[in-house]
Amino acid sequence: MIDRFRQAYREEARELLTELESALLELDRNREDREVVGRAFRALHTIKGSGAMFGFDAIAGFAHNLETAFDRLRNGELTATSDLINLSLAAGDQIRVMLEQEDGGKAADPACSQQILAELQKLTHDATSSPADTHPVKDPAAAREAVGHTWRIHFRPAPGILLQGTNPGLLFRELRDLGELKMTLDTSAIPPLAEIEAEHCYLAWDMVLTTTAPEAAIRDVFIFVEDEGELRIEAAAAEEPDAATLPADGRRPGAPPVPGKVRETVATPATSSLRVSTSKIDELVNLVGQLVTVQARLSEVAGRHQDPDLTEVSEAVDRVTASLRDNSMNIRMLPLRATFERFRRLVHDLGADLHKEVNFTVEGADTELDKTVIDQLNDPLVHLIRNSMDHGIEPPEARLAAGKSPTGTIHLSARHAGASVLIQVTDDGKGLDVEAVRARATEKGLIEPGARLSESETLSLIFTAGFSTARELSGVSGRGVGMDVVRRNIEALRGSVEIASRPGAGLTATLRLPLTLAIIDGLLVRVGAEHFVLPLADSRECVELTRRDIQENHGKHLANVRGEIVPYIRLREYFGIAGQHPEREQIMVVDTDYSQYGFVVDQVLGDHQTVIKNLGRLYRNVQEVSGATLLGNGTVALILDPNRLVQSILQAASQRRGSAGRESRGYRLDSLPPKNKEDKTDGTQGSEQQV
Amino acid sequence: MAKVILTVDDSASVRQMVRFALSDAGYTVVEAVDGKDALAKLTQPVHLVITDLNMPNLDGLGLIRGVRANPAYKGIPILMLTTESQDSKKQEGRAAGATGWIVKPFATQQLLAVVRKVLG
Repeated sequence: MIDRFRQAYREEARELLTELESALLELDRNREDREVVGRAFRALHTIKGSGAMFGFDAIAGFAHNLETAFDRLRNGELTATSDLINLSLAAGDQIRVMLEQEDGGKAADPACSQQILAELQKLTHDATSSPADTHPVKDPAAAREAVGHTWRIHFRPAPGILLQGTNPGLLFRELRDLGELKMTLDTSAIPPLAEIEAEHCYLAWDMVLTTTAPEAAIRDVFIFVEDEGELRIEAAAAEEPDAATLPADGRRPGAPPVPGKVRETVATPATSSLRVSTSKIDELVNLVGQLVTVQARLSEVAGRHQDPDLTEVSEAVDRVTASLRDNSMNIRMLPLRATFERFRRLVHDLGADLHKEVNFTVEGADTELDKTVIDQLNDPLVHLIRNSMDHGIEPPEARLAAGKSPTGTIHLSARHAGASVLIQVTDDGKGLDVEAVRARATEKGLIEPGARLSESETLSLIFTAGFSTARELSGVSGRGVGMDVVRRNIEALRGSVEIASRPGAGLTATLRLPLTLAIIDGLLVRVGAEHFVLPLADSRECVELTRRDIQENHGKHLANVRGEIVPYIRLREYFGIAGQHPEREQIMVVDTDYSQYGFVVDQVLGDHQTVIKNLGRLYRNVQEVSGATLLGNGTVALILDPNRLVQSILQAASQRRGSAGRESRGYRLDSLPPKNKEDKTDGTQGSEQQV
Repeated sequence: MAKVILTVDDSASVRQMVRFALSDAGYTVVEAVDGKDALAKLTQPVHLVITDLNMPNLDGLGLIRGVRANPAYKGIPILMLTTESQDSKKQEGRAAGATGWIVKPFATQQLLAVVRKVLG
């Protein structure tokens, strides 16, 4: 049982250490902030207090010394210096090592602890004491003497004793447990009725106690009340049976009845949070995914049978499944704050290593993201921040020479965009030199000399394996593996990464990540016999496209949606699906990164809870499809990524304009600029992406 | 009828330990993560409050004052959890209306002894 507590303590202590670290780093920026000192103090206080309780004595003792220092800091007796903050950070790391040791990790070096404490003492000029155990309650049985003594006790509690929750009757009961007790009630202080405060205690007691317990045990009975009111405990010579006895039945004279005692107690222990292992939640989400698929089949069957009873049940199951799905997805959502705050330390440490001054700012840390995504986000962000620190931000002298503030800034932000979350790492360093990237890529044979690439295409080359513009390896980055890893990790999460450079003014890396990896709300559409799913969050509206509309636009791939011109893509043509399109087609208008785009389909079937299944390694180069899902009747529908679809269409168009001879990637049409139908028959394209 | 004890601490491990010790002894335990949470949970009968002093949002002293200001709870016993470095806190706590204190670290038996002392 105690092991369970120890485990809980370890987890809690790790969180507290993170909290301590973030408080310390914040303190480093704002030395006067008492609130932050208070946060650090509370974290240390709990690490110490709970540590001692669960047998982590070494940690408790160590944390005690730090806590003392922060208590003095809090009271203004000490000032926060960068030495103290750095030492405290090191101390936090040491506690972490000690925790790991308890957890079976490598042993903590006691010499290291000693050294930190010695430094701390030097910094605080204080003889820090070790934690001493002073328990107010001692076991009365422990020191019982063999011979009984008689004690005279006079007790006149403060009038407010009842309002402090003390029941004098309980004290007498405790005394009776010690030995034979005789009591006399002194009512002389009770005022006239008109002056009586109903909740005050006006009584005093004189008692004679015969006990084998020592005086300390008697004093312990009154430990909470001895400072207020009158209490005299004297050794009496012998038996003095002059006291009229009072039945010490524990009833409080003059006390109002305790409310609640008469009512029925509701046994509902309310917990505010619960720790559950991730594997259990994963299992739950997996089962919910299966349920969603089964439910889709049920709806489909109900739709075929046209049985009102069955339909009713099916709709009810539908509703419950939808909220079950949302709820179980929500369990996995965590705010990004903890992840973001961890980088504060990284920036602080790297800044010291590289002799650069960098201010780290965070925005949108409350944005929530699936835990699986967050877990895999750490490495890519570390790489991006290291790159900014190493290559982006210039040394202070260079910054001054460039007319910038000597202190650089790295800004980490997160925000929602449709069914995605955008995370941006922005620095105000020197930015990327597009020409240097192009030259390097040519040198490495990544592109052909003279290839015409747009700026963003060129910049995206830095995500290619083996690319690095830094000629010398630094300890921080420059091995040419980082950015490659970034892209692979992010794409494994079905996300994308982009770089925008402002030469001389900095760099922004944008990560676009799906909110969740498991289930999305989708819109099911049909083209011929094929089904596709578009993400519902990005879908804007659905309009009809008739042959007349097409003719009026002279076959250009532009639709007029209430006066707005919307370019569109025919999925039938894009995927090379055989068959004639029907008289009336439908356009799904979807928000993309570029603008609104229309996707022309035969029929929009309706919304569909989409359980995302990966296509497998064989198809990982297929950009336009983000996964597949099972429909109610067991057939497979591909989940389209509208952004990638539009992107590849635009790229195909620009490539065809740029280098006409280069092999393009297999599109049957392009949409910008609008072209005539006859143009689509030119023979440059294959069709690698037929379904 | 089991007596209800409200344990207030921002440390989950301490709450868990207090809960285990007290429910084993037959008490019903309600947990709160800080003073604010605790005041919000004072809607049911509570016979004893055990609170930490250092907590975010609303600290132990604030909670004690809050409980005492509520007519339905102004007479219930309140125990505060302190550490040896906080002797002055004991006085502040008493002044705010605390009944007694338990010094951290404490063993289960000590906790139960003090709870029995104030709860009977």
